[in-house]
Amino acid sequence: MLRKYSNHRTNSDNIKLGSLTAFSAGMVNVISVIVFFSFTSNVTGYYAILAQEISKSNWYQVAVVLFWILLFFSGGVISNLIIIHGKGKWGGYISHAIPVFLEFVSILFVGVYLQFFYKDTLQETEFLVGALLFAMGLQNSLTASISNFAVKTTHLTGLTTDLGILVSMFTKKSNRQNRNLVDRFNLLLSILISYVFGGIVSGVFYNHFQNHTFYLVCFILLVIAFYDYYKFSKVKKIYEKRHHDLLL
Amino acid sequence: MRHTKYLHRGNLIRITYALIIGLLMLSLFTLISSKSPELLIQGTWREKEWNIEKGNDTATTNVIASGLREEILKDLELLHYGIWDFNDNRLTTYDMKQAGTSVEWLIKGRGHILELRREGKRIETFLIQQIDENTLELHLNFDLQVKGIMKIVLERVTQTEKYAKKI
Repeated sequence: MLRKYSNHRTNSDNIKLGSLTAFSAGMVNVISVIVFFSFTSNVTGYYAILAQEISKSNWYQVAVVLFWILLFFSGGVISNLIIIHGKGKWGGYISHAIPVFLEFVSILFVGVYLQFFYKDTLQETEFLVGALLFAMGLQNSLTASISNFAVKTTHLTGLTTDLGILVSMFTKKSNRQNRNLVDRFNLLLSILISYVFGGIVSGVFYNHFQNHTFYLVCFILLVIAFYDYYKFSKVKKIYEKRHHDLLL
Repeated sequence: MRHTKYLHRGNLIRITYALIIGLLMLSLFTLISSKSPELLIQGTWREKEWNIEKGNDTATTNVIASGLREEILKDLELLHYGIWDFNDNRLTTYDMKQAGTSVEWLIKGRGHILELRREGKRIETFLIQQIDENTLELHLNFDLQVKGIMKIVLERVTQTEKYAKKI
């Protein structure tokens, strides 16, 4: 899921990565709206808000929104820096897993802070929302970068547009039989469903477990980070067992 | 020629990086040092206007009847007296004196949401449309009798006014 890069990835790899990361992004977005009254997985709306606050000369709000946008941007920069510079040093898998680990740390920090230190002040809220936006920037950059821009999981604007285009294309029989288009449709649909499902799970989970919901997101990120390691270990064991049996 | 072009591009990239880091630092500094809505809201506010903007006809603005106003805010007795008091300990003065239970006020989002809580439970949220030293404009979405937005405009009660009233 994480190990392969760009065109070496299969559609199945992208569906696994897209579904799990979209699920976590949907969860983060819904819980942040519940707790902080702010979206954290997308920044499109914040550009509009930024322009609106500038026009109203609300400089404090301008600074907050700009800070959030730049943190999402920084997440994207750092994630891709690790991927392109780390590949030669640590190999593909580790350099792809580091942004997931950083995202894990950011979300865990928010969860722990909310549980033990949060005093409901505005400044705390702004920094915690910033941490979540940074995490989403890391994630979106990672998925886009390693999948050759096929997977973007933190917002659904482009995805909904692409799905609309594909649905219209499928009115032609030749397109319905085109494997690439069908694969793309399956990928986009799985991301969409996972994102919405993640949001629902987050809302329901929050009603019962409140801020512990962030730990569930962390668990999903651990699954993403260690899936390839687990799979590799399993394959290695099977290979060793077969080798051992052959020797006997 | 190519070399010169390369230098230009290199400089442009450096300027871009500097601009991004500068903007990040500037926004961080503004966020830490400027007066946030959380500080601006503290004090006593007097109601100036209560208007209702109907969802189906945004051009129509009615001054709201006091009976309807009280029905909309039936859980918020503290708002029936025309004076909104936001203490620096994030509690409202009214409750401590009269209701026995305390209502906590919190500012959320990017400083655009006013949340009121009683015993940890959210009882109402308002959208802060405008806030400065003298004016506070709140919007409330409601779904009672008519769909629409309630616009509440408040003005700050100054220390001099408070003192004059006391005398």
